[in-house]
Amino acid sequence: MDKRNACIVAAGVSVFGERKGHIVDLFQEAAKRCLDDIPALKSKDIDGLLVATSLAGRTSSQINTAPVVAERLGLHPTSICTRLDTLCAGGNSGILLATALVESGMADVVVVAGGEKLYTPQRWEVFYSAFNVVDHDWDGAQGLGLPPPYFALHAKEHMKHYGTTKEQLAAVSVTNYGFGAANPNAQFRKELTLEEAMAAASVAPPFTLYDCCPITDGGAAAIITFEEKAKELSDRPLVYIRGGAQVSLHSVSANWPGEHLGDWPHLRLAAEKAYQKAKVGAEDIDVAQTHDCFTISEVIEVEEFGFCKKGEGGPYVASGQINLGGKVPINTDGGLLSCGHPFGATGIRQGAEILKQLQGRATFQVEGAEIGLAHNLSGLCAEHTVVIYGKEPVR
Amino acid sequence: MGIEGIPFLENRYPVTMDLWPMEAKEFNRVYGFYDNLRAGRFTTTKCNKCGYTAYPPRVICPECYSEELDYIDLPKRGKVIVFTEQLRGVTLGFEAPLIHAWIDLVEGSPIKRILSRIINCPEGTLNEGDEVQFVVFDVPAHPMEIKKETITAERVFFAFEPVKK
Repeated sequence: MDKRNACIVAAGVSVFGERKGHIVDLFQEAAKRCLDDIPALKSKDIDGLLVATSLAGRTSSQINTAPVVAERLGLHPTSICTRLDTLCAGGNSGILLATALVESGMADVVVVAGGEKLYTPQRWEVFYSAFNVVDHDWDGAQGLGLPPPYFALHAKEHMKHYGTTKEQLAAVSVTNYGFGAANPNAQFRKELTLEEAMAAASVAPPFTLYDCCPITDGGAAAIITFEEKAKELSDRPLVYIRGGAQVSLHSVSANWPGEHLGDWPHLRLAAEKAYQKAKVGAEDIDVAQTHDCFTISEVIEVEEFGFCKKGEGGPYVASGQINLGGKVPINTDGGLLSCGHPFGATGIRQGAEILKQLQGRATFQVEGAEIGLAHNLSGLCAEHTVVIYGKEPVR
Repeated sequence: MGIEGIPFLENRYPVTMDLWPMEAKEFNRVYGFYDNLRAGRFTTTKCNKCGYTAYPPRVICPECYSEELDYIDLPKRGKVIVFTEQLRGVTLGFEAPLIHAWIDLVEGSPIKRILSRIINCPEGTLNEGDEVQFVVFDVPAHPMEIKKETITAERVFFAFEPVKK
C-alpha cells in the first residue's frame, strides 16, 4: 500500500460564549455542524473518535468522556475511541493523532471533537477550578490559576528587552476583534478601536481587558480521513495535513527553558520540527492561526515562527502584517481573543478556519492561500503544538 | 458542619476541592520538602549518584533515574526581575491585588529563577530590582480520614517578601 495522506474534509464549530447547556449538548451542536458540512458522510462510516476536553472531569463531573460523547453523537467507533487532555492544545493534539491513525491505517474516518463547559452553574467556580490548569502544587499554590498575570510578566520582559509597547499589544486585539466581528460563532462580535483597547480596565499590568482572551464554553469537531476517501466524500479542494510537532520541555514555571520570558525556544523547536515534517519554511506560510490567548503571545509567536526577526514582533503586528493584505494574515476568524477559548475546542476551530482558507471560502479570504498553520500553547506556556496544512500533500 | 444539598458531606472535608498541596507523608513522597518548610528551610532534591539538582523535589533523579536523593538548601534571597499586581480574575482564596514576581535567585543557585507570590508588601511599593526573601506561613489544616482514623494535617506554604530597606 502506498503511503496514505491524511486530509481534513469537514469541520463545525458551535456558538462560543457563556452558554446555557451541558458539555454533551455543546459536543452535539458542534458535531451536527460538522456533519452538515459534509452531506455524503454518514455517521456509520465513522470508525474513530478522539475527544479533547480537559475540564470535563472538574466542571461537568464527567471523566472518561469519549464513550459518553460517542453515544450522544450516535457513533459506534471500531478503531479508536479515546479522550485527550492537553488543555489548550487538546484539539490540535487530536488532529495530529488522527493524522497518524489515518496515515498508518489504524483508522479510516476519525472525528476529532473538542469542547469545554467552563461556566458551571455558578460563575465563581471558574476561579476555583482554575488551580488545576497549571502545575497545581508548585504554581497553583502560588495563586496562579487563570494565566493573565503570568503572561503579563512575559509582556514586561519583552518590553524590557525589545522595547515593545502597550500600543503594539493593543494592535493585536484590534486586528483580531476586527476579524471576529464578522464571525457568528465568536464570543465577542464587535469591532474594537485602539482608543477603547488602550482605555480598558486593568487586569494585571500591562494587561487590560482586551489583552486577554475570555473564559468560554463551546465545542468544535472535524473529520480527518485519507485522501482517496476524502475525494469520495467531497467535491471541495482537498486540504492535507502536511505535518506537525508537539514540544514539551518543562511544566513548573521555575524550569522555564528560555533566556528570559520573552524568549520561547520551545516554540522555535516546535516550529522548526513542524516545518521540517511539512517540508515548508516560514516564507511559505500564507495564513496562520497562532495561539493569541494574550496579545503578547501573538507578538512573540510571529517572531518564533520566523515571520519577522526576533524582537521585532511589536512593530511587525502594529504595521498591519498580521491583517488581510499583510505578510501573513493571522487569526482571520477572530482568534482566541475574539472567539473565546474553550480549551479542547480551540485547535479544531483553528483547523476549521484553515480548511476554509485553503478551500477559498473564508469570510476574510487570503487570496490564493496554499499553506496554513495552526498553533497552540498550553499550560503556563509549557507546551507548544503546531499543525501545518496544505493544498498538496508532502512529496 | 453540614453542607446543604450534599448531606453526605456532614462533618467531612472534600480534599479534592482543596487549594493547597497534600503535604502529609500518607499522600506525598516529597513530604520532606514540607517538613523542611516547617523548619523554615527552602530545599529540593539532589542526586547522590550523578549530582543533578532538580526542582521541584522528586522521588527519582530525572537525569539518571537513581532513587538516592538528598535534600539540599536553596537560596532564600533573590531579586525581582519583573512583577505584576493582579487586580481582576484572582483565583479563589486569594485577594487582589495579588502580586506575582519572576525572581532571579542569587548567583550559583541550582535553580536560576522562580515564580512566586510577593506577600507582606503594600500595593504600589514593589520595584523591579528589589531584593526579596523567602517566607513561610501557615495555611489551613484540614481533617482527613485515613482508614478509620481522622488526622488533621498541619500545613505551611511559602512565598517571598520584600527585604526591609
